[in-house]
Amino acid sequence: MIKISDLVSDDAAYISRRAWSDPAVYQLEKHGVFGKAWLFLGHETQIKHPGDFVQAYMCETPIILARGEDNKIYANINSCSHRGLPVCRADHGNTKRFVCPYHNWSYKVDGSLVAIPQEKMVSQKPDKNTLGLKPVPRVESWQGMIFGSFDESIEPLDSYLGDMRFYLDAFFDRFENGIEFAGAPHRWTINANWKLPMENQLGDVNHGPFLHSAVIPAEANQEIFDVGLSAVPHPGHGATFRLMPEGTPNENMAWGMEGMGAILGGSEVKEYLFEIQAKAKERVGDIRARMKGLTYGVYPNLSFLWSNTSFKVSHPRGPGKVEYWSWSAIPADAPDSVKKILRTNYSSFFGPGGILEQEDSEAWMQQFIGSNIDFADDKPYYYGLGMGDEKPHPELPGMVSSTANEYYARAFFKRWREALESVSDQDANRIALAEVR
Amino acid sequence: MSAQLKRIEQQFAIEQFYYREARMLDNRQYQQWFALVTESISYVMPSRVNKLVDNRLRGKEEMISIDKELERSDDMGSPIREEGYAHLFVRVDRAYKANSWAENPPARTRRIVGNVEILSVEENTYRVTSNFHLFFARPGSDNFIYSGQRNDRLIVDGDSFKIDAREVIMDYANIDVPTLGLLF
Ligand code: FES
Ligand SMILES: [Fe+2]
Repeated sequence: MIKISDLVSDDAAYISRRAWSDPAVYQLEKHGVFGKAWLFLGHETQIKHPGDFVQAYMCETPIILARGEDNKIYANINSCSHRGLPVCRADHGNTKRFVCPYHNWSYKVDGSLVAIPQEKMVSQKPDKNTLGLKPVPRVESWQGMIFGSFDESIEPLDSYLGDMRFYLDAFFDRFENGIEFAGAPHRWTINANWKLPMENQLGDVNHGPFLHSAVIPAEANQEIFDVGLSAVPHPGHGATFRLMPEGTPNENMAWGMEGMGAILGGSEVKEYLFEIQAKAKERVGDIRARMKGLTYGVYPNLSFLWSNTSFKVSHPRGPGKVEYWSWSAIPADAPDSVKKILRTNYSSFFGPGGILEQEDSEAWMQQFIGSNIDFADDKPYYYGLGMGDEKPHPELPGMVSSTANEYYARAFFKRWREALESVSDQDANRIALAEVR
Repeated sequence: MSAQLKRIEQQFAIEQFYYREARMLDNRQYQQWFALVTESISYVMPSRVNKLVDNRLRGKEEMISIDKELERSDDMGSPIREEGYAHLFVRVDRAYKANSWAENPPARTRRIVGNVEILSVEENTYRVTSNFHLFFARPGSDNFIYSGQRNDRLIVDGDSFKIDAREVIMDYANIDVPTLGLLF
């Protein structure tokens, strides 16, 4: 029997292999982490009009995120109240009704049940008001990013994100009309634990010069070494970026310029990116205008790859499998021709066909193999690099240090350990029961 | 008769070209393969999504047409790959670097190309569609099968061809292969 306190040492310098591979730990994570966090569902631009919907997941639970006829945002569990089939099978679209395939009960996009075809043949009339889809109890959005939580008493999204908003706004607020997500998410499965893709984006830029040395040029790595910072505004969240010196030319500072799209895309896209950068100081202030982002993570499983402008969610599918979702994010008011170029800043290197992503996912799969072996539980993983180097910063919120410091991961795992410890006896009993079954 | 003969010759030449190409890729001769593409090559892999059935199209083949499931290069969705010569160069170049850790040891592959159909010939430009199955065995991992279709624009180059455009339509519902970043 595993003790939670054995999974993460008190200073989080050691993390057990079982934290990654044990099915009982995974059951605890469902309740302690995913049951009590704000989980990313989608972006408001994906559901602009009444009737628009997209699919989402909260851990393994399928969700329909939709805009109702009243123009409000709704999130419901995608499972029929009759026998449980998913009532929505499309990735996205616009509709008046979801019709369940089995017996054709039909639901509005807001989740309310409107028709039971068999009703006229029976004398007792079911109360349709109580038979809608199960709503996600809390749904809130910030900067167009919609989150849901299964925890009715969770703190408001704003305070949950806290100072992470400072770092996210350094990107979002650059654009007068915000950003949008291009198309349906790319979704693919990787035989890895969900936490590793997350850890990778939270702050592990330090694998870049090594795992990706055949692709990332040495100058790019040198720049990270020289001016890269890792900030942890709150344990579980993280932001890495380069803080470019004042007077850095636009070529080397503007968002988007380092992507393949911009490098190959010609003058139109360059001019567009320089225009955004020209307004950055006024829009986000001096220090944030000089931020050239790398990777971000929002607890527990949302990440943002600023350098290639992609949002990603690591959805667990058991301890050894993730369904990874990613979207290319582009400025909402860019001309279509520019949007098409900028989306390739993402797909050139990331997503299921990306040349860097294929190196990452290989490493993540191999890590799960190492986490699932026997006779090595007395050899937990070392997470102590840079211990104590993190310090408050005069202009940036949170604890800040060089990108080689693994504080971002220690902070994440301390929060994760507390989350597992917070699982109530009642929940733990349910988990034990589920295992018996 | 001679028109018919010409078509048979064309078909033969195209098929031989594809077999040669597949052999190079399976033998990891990516540098030689790279000489088979034009510098203006467009290499695209649309993404594939699950769409709502459009009630107004019921009774028509269009209702469930494959085109509806694709996010292609010319619309505003999010294709999986939209690459040119530079992207392919990076992929080829990486294969021969000692520090491309993730490909060491490299995967073993075997491609079978079939259903080769010449859709049109205009001067020296051929439009050809073909299907492929690709077996992929990755050391330390597992074996995988890839299945897909390629829509090519080929340009006559002496007694061979060059690939000027390739659209790769993968057959997936869920992507459960390690990477779609191979040379298909
Ligand atoms: S299961 Fe949905 S209508 Fe019966
Ligand atoms: Fe990486």
